[in-house]
Amino acid sequence: MKVSRVFAVTKRVLRDLKNDRRTLVLIFVAPILVMTIFGVAFAGNVKDVRVVVVNNDTAAANSSLSDKIVSNFDTSVLNVAYSNSASDAIGQVQNGSAYAVIVFPSTFTQSVEARAAGQTSIPQENVTISLLADKSNVNVADAIIAAVNNAVVQTTQGQGHQPPVSVDSSNAIYGANAQFIDFFVPGIMSVAVWQLTTLLTLISFVGERTSGTLSRLLASPLKESELVAGYAVAFGAIGATQAAVLLAVGVLLFNINIVGDVLLAFGVIALLAIVSEGLGILLSNLARRETQATQFLPFIILPAFLLSGVFWPIEAIPTWLRPVCYILPPTYAVEAVRSVTLRGWGLDKISPDVVALLIFAGVFLVLATILLRRRE
Amino acid sequence: MEDDVCIRDLEKDIGGSKAVNTLSQRVKLKNGVVETEVHMKEVHTKDDVCIRDLEKDFDGFKAVNNLSLRVKHGEIYGLLGPNGAGKTTAIRILCGLLRPSSGEIFVLDVKLPDPGVAPHVGYMPQELALYRGLTVHENLEFFGEVFGLTKQQIATREEALLKLVDLQAFRDSLIDQLSGGMRQRISLACALLHEPQLLFLDEPTVGVDPDLRASFWRYFEELRDSGITILITTHYMDEARHCDRIGFMREGRLLAEGSPQELLELTHTDSLDDAFLACCPIEGPQ
Repeated sequence: MKVSRVFAVTKRVLRDLKNDRRTLVLIFVAPILVMTIFGVAFAGNVKDVRVVVVNNDTAAANSSLSDKIVSNFDTSVLNVAYSNSASDAIGQVQNGSAYAVIVFPSTFTQSVEARAAGQTSIPQENVTISLLADKSNVNVADAIIAAVNNAVVQTTQGQGHQPPVSVDSSNAIYGANAQFIDFFVPGIMSVAVWQLTTLLTLISFVGERTSGTLSRLLASPLKESELVAGYAVAFGAIGATQAAVLLAVGVLLFNINIVGDVLLAFGVIALLAIVSEGLGILLSNLARRETQATQFLPFIILPAFLLSGVFWPIEAIPTWLRPVCYILPPTYAVEAVRSVTLRGWGLDKISPDVVALLIFAGVFLVLATILLRRRE
Repeated sequence: MEDDVCIRDLEKDIGGSKAVNTLSQRVKLKNGVVETEVHMKEVHTKDDVCIRDLEKDFDGFKAVNNLSLRVKHGEIYGLLGPNGAGKTTAIRILCGLLRPSSGEIFVLDVKLPDPGVAPHVGYMPQELALYRGLTVHENLEFFGEVFGLTKQQIATREEALLKLVDLQAFRDSLIDQLSGGMRQRISLACALLHEPQLLFLDEPTVGVDPDLRASFWRYFEELRDSGITILITTHYMDEARHCDRIGFMREGRLLAEGSPQELLELTHTDSLDDAFLACCPIEGPQ
């Protein structure tokens, strides 16, 4: 393999990109846009959900436990409205203007205090807050339930009633202040590089085949391995640059947490780009025209988006489906980059993921070279 | 009678291959008419391409069928035939892009396949084979680098070639912005950049207007005169008169071969179109 010829190919690929503004925009602006949209709209926290409180509690205002609980609601999550009748409140849920009805029984404060004083004869329903939620939206319902539970725990503690058992989760081993966006950026970075690199090499290589440039190159002293390597260097560099731009925007716009070595993260992304490049060249064997190449798009995008741990951790995917996650190269990159940026892990600890990516890269590049070398 | 010229047992060895082997020739003047008497035991000029019994089978379809031909050093050899005659397949095999089903090929005295041949051969594919998103200069530079040329060599040859194809003013234009004929000229320049000894041109004049075709043939003749051997395919019969020798191909076979003049005389026709039809009747070879 001659390095000068490898770099000639690399320079050619980069120049093609430099002259093609549309593709440049696609490579750098599209991932930023996706990250921003998800980062802003899908920050992971449910906010401003309208709930209707029906407070039948007859206790005086200054001693009412129900009023204290309502005042302890997290107002960023719950937008509280009041109603005097449960049926009217339920009507509001039914016509879509609220998500839940919270009903306090009439002897609520009195019953809770009696129980706390040791009276065991108080019926359970007298101390039960009914939460009638629209559970058709699981995320919203869960957030309402959590907010109400938190308010109850906070209020009873404020009253001096300590629960028999408590859990303290305030000290984290990793990711002490992590938000959803901190978890999400490493994922979207990996998947964006995976998709764009596979797609670009695929289209670019189908172009080499249909335009005749591949024929010219294979009739020249350029070796097939040099062609594949030249593309790998170019797309590795582009991938690392994409990662750097995304991470920079993540820090500037969303103030994401990075506790590890960013260069190591860029290295992992570059490696993923090389894996994707190998796959793109391999897939180009199956497409006769550019339009056929774009038909591969859903197969490249969807599985990686859904199954490589970008939005949901692999642990949330059914065990029978997990083997599919582990044949997707982005899974390893997402895990490795996340471990670097959020856990501050070094190469020693992410080495299983790096080795997996190296194996993918080796297999794809060698196969791509062999298929190029094949002569009809 | 006295001989005005007399050659006896002349031999000329070029690069290990005998260009002239035991040539004896006498030129006599008889009643003012020149009469020649040639005794040639064996005359070889060096063959830059030698194909023997080449066959190429695509899933039972014989694209090239028992093809044997030689292209001599320094000549323009035209492979003529309709679309689908097997010309492009033959050229792609010569360039190492397809594997022959059987037969032997020697290119520049080297038996194929051999990676050592590529640096000395120029190939202009039928397709455009240029990077449309790169400028003229960027394309030339890339193909120069692939052939291992230095920056200086690329600069010198780029200037000379752009002058040859008369496109100096378009050095920094994107290929996408050029007309079809201009692109075709740049494609030729890319094939010539590394100064090949042998040039394979696959339908270089397809879709090119008559004026440009005339200038293309002027380039080819200039190149031939500078010592480059050219194997060219075309289905335009009229332009084949520029070739030194022609091979008529149909259905994968070589059906006739000779200089344009010889083929016209052989078939008693006035045009190569008619000569082709006489040699290669549409029903297929006899």
